[in-house]
Amino acid sequence: MSADTQSHEHHIVPVRTYFATLIALMVLMGLTVGVYFIDLPGLGGFLTGTVVNQTVALIIAIIKALLVIMIFMGVKWSTPLTKLWVAAGFVTFSLMFFILVDYGTRREYEPVPAWDKAGESATPRGFPPGSQSVPSNNINLRPRG
Amino acid sequence: MAAITHTSDHSHDDHHGPLHHQFESIEQQNESYIVGMWTFLVTEVMFFGALFLTYTLYRAMYQHDFFVAHEHLSIPMGAFNTIVLLISSFTMVLAVHFAQLKRARAVIANLWLTIALAGVFLVVKYFEYTSKFADNLYPGPSFTANKAVFEHNGHVPEIDLNHAQIFYGLYFGMTGLHAVHIIVGILVLAALARMWMKGNRLVTEDFVPTELVGLYWHFVDLVWIFLFPLMYLMPKPH
Repeated sequence: MSADTQSHEHHIVPVRTYFATLIALMVLMGLTVGVYFIDLPGLGGFLTGTVVNQTVALIIAIIKALLVIMIFMGVKWSTPLTKLWVAAGFVTFSLMFFILVDYGTRREYEPVPAWDKAGESATPRGFPPGSQSVPSNNINLRPRG
Repeated sequence: MAAITHTSDHSHDDHHGPLHHQFESIEQQNESYIVGMWTFLVTEVMFFGALFLTYTLYRAMYQHDFFVAHEHLSIPMGAFNTIVLLISSFTMVLAVHFAQLKRARAVIANLWLTIALAGVFLVVKYFEYTSKFADNLYPGPSFTANKAVFEHNGHVPEIDLNHAQIFYGLYFGMTGLHAVHIIVGILVLAALARMWMKGNRLVTEDFVPTELVGLYWHFVDLVWIFLFPLMYLMPKPH
């Protein structure tokens, strides 16, 4: 909190740094569109070509995001507290994706396959689980039990 | 904002704005402003994050249907809007740069340029949404029952329309929420530009308010950086 550790002169970034960042962002955008039209080979197992393509697209997006955060938003030249705050925010965001692990363990039930036909996916309230006595009126009810 | 009073008895160099009485130093004041803005932005990250999580979940479940549904989106329009937003981020950062140098005319010009680019973004979005409405792709009871709207390269692909509807729910939800942020951004930028044009000391003497608006605008750009590849550039299942 003490001002003693910080510079009294605010860092003014030259316009050419910002312009170079803009050009880099444009090039990366062109690259991500280019990759879309190429079907990259899979690496075996769950790493199918689709996963590889998507991973490449996301890595490019993350590089673009880092350029915007570091240069345009000036986090690179900000105080340690600001850096900690920003990092904590994005770490919390990525932690949220661990919820997907939970969905993986109960795929049959959630998210509720409400768009499918009622008879195939849902046991209406009041019916025992797995009951076939479902009115075929296409009304979807949440599975119970 | 209106409650902030200026103190004239504190010494400060003419590069920074007035130091308010509750802060020890200009560095502490600026850090408080920036950290406060980032706190808001982090809540925004979580707000959009929940939607990205939903997208990930349904995309993993309905890979094929999402891919077919996404082919209706126009990549040229999406790419054009990406370029527009990236340039608007550049003009915004120039506005902050000139605010640090206290060059009011350059700040005002760049703020209006940013607003104009945001307007271009919304106009393109309007044409995109119109073409989706024309094909009844808005989720709800009127969602299309006609698979022919997904015709691509001369043949109608196999698609589950209910899953396509989930994709369009996410598409309209996420790009719509993003568009709301663009509209709010335009209003905030216009208010800031007006303060600069009136020579309000709150912004002309201190570049940080301009920088805070800039942080918000870059955040809007940041969301689009992820929305564009995830919505428009879905890789073909292979």
